[in-house]
Amino acid sequence: MVSEDVLRTHLQELRRGTVVVASLVALRRPDYGYALLQRLTDHGFPVDANTLYPLLRRLEDQGLLTSEWNTEESRPRKFYRTSDEGESMLSRLLDDLAAVQTSITGLIQGVDR
Amino acid sequence: MNTLTDRYLAATLRSVPAPRRDEIATELRASIGDMIDDRTSGGADVTTAEREVLTELGNPDLLAARYADRRLQLLGPTYYLIWWRLMKLLLSLIPAIVGTIVTIVEVAEGKGFGAIGPGIVAAMQTGVQIAFWLTLTFVLIDRFQPTADLPDWTVDQLPDVPAHRDISLPETVASVVMLLVTIAYLPLQHYRSWVRDTDGDNIPVLEPALWSFWLPALIVVLAASVVFEIVKYRVGRWTWPLYGTKALLNLAFSVPVVWLALSDRLLNPALGERLSWLADADNRNTLGATIAVGVAVIMVWDLIDTALKTRRQTA
Repeated sequence: MVSEDVLRTHLQELRRGTVVVASLVALRRPDYGYALLQRLTDHGFPVDANTLYPLLRRLEDQGLLTSEWNTEESRPRKFYRTSDEGESMLSRLLDDLAAVQTSITGLIQGVDR
Repeated sequence: MNTLTDRYLAATLRSVPAPRRDEIATELRASIGDMIDDRTSGGADVTTAEREVLTELGNPDLLAARYADRRLQLLGPTYYLIWWRLMKLLLSLIPAIVGTIVTIVEVAEGKGFGAIGPGIVAAMQTGVQIAFWLTLTFVLIDRFQPTADLPDWTVDQLPDVPAHRDISLPETVASVVMLLVTIAYLPLQHYRSWVRDTDGDNIPVLEPALWSFWLPALIVVLAASVVFEIVKYRVGRWTWPLYGTKALLNLAFSVPVVWLALSDRLLNPALGERLSWLADADNRNTLGATIAVGVAVIMVWDLIDTALKTRRQTA
């Protein structure tokens, strides 16, 4: 019987890096913090607000996202978009994610059960 | 304006680097507004929604640390191991040395058993100081130079597999220190005891006449015991020859002490001048018998205990 705590820790570890990948993919279409959070959640990437908002800033600092203020609506919102640099980084990350999936599949099929 | 959101923003921005404070404030306020709107459109009332949203965002200090990319730990893994090794090394040596020196100095000033207290206090203070300053130094290094060019670990640094020994170093050091303190006490009590006569001169605790033979003999036995402890450590475990030597040394010390105590020749009769209780012959006999029994009991117990250890370690 696996304890819930152990399971939760491993799932967290497994999911940690995928939030960055998911955000870079989602932000090919510009969006602001909370809307992005909802889109990610709808697509099966539940992420805490207090993780996502600082993460967006960090990715912007690293040059992977660009941002633009939109002041036309009721409240000013900062829209993020994946930059060219972010796009090339994303393709590397997606390749690696695919490679992990391939390796796992190979490993599963290679093991006698 | 002093809504919960205002207070939350103020608490968060307090520890965010100043240049980006305004921008983060605007964005975070908008995000909080969006989250509240989302909930109120689902039928929740504004106050409850605000509370829920801020609760979800969590401790503002934690959020600020994430914005500032600040690590929430005192000392990171880069320096932890070297810090821990230095800590163990320094704490295992320096407090003991300082404590011993202070004790010796206090003894030299004639404090008798009262010298142990200041020694322990000094050792503890030294330990606390070492721990504090060493940790502070490493925390500062860790903050300002988080990536260090520490030499890589190599297999050559592996220590030897510890040799199997039943006699530990701390045990040996403790024994030797006890013996040396006892040796030092014998001449010391002659010149500086805590008892003074009416003229303020020193009264030795032990009978001064014993210096003609018995006290030097006891010092020789104690010195031989120091040598014995070192030999025993080199051998690494109890053996029957070692046990025999130990028994002889124990007897060579205890038998004279017991005999002197029982025949009322151990303590200085002059003590009776100051401690009226000792002037009475019956009391002196009782005290002598108590000392004799005490020494005998400790010796017998030690011999039995050592015999059990020897049997276990030679098996």
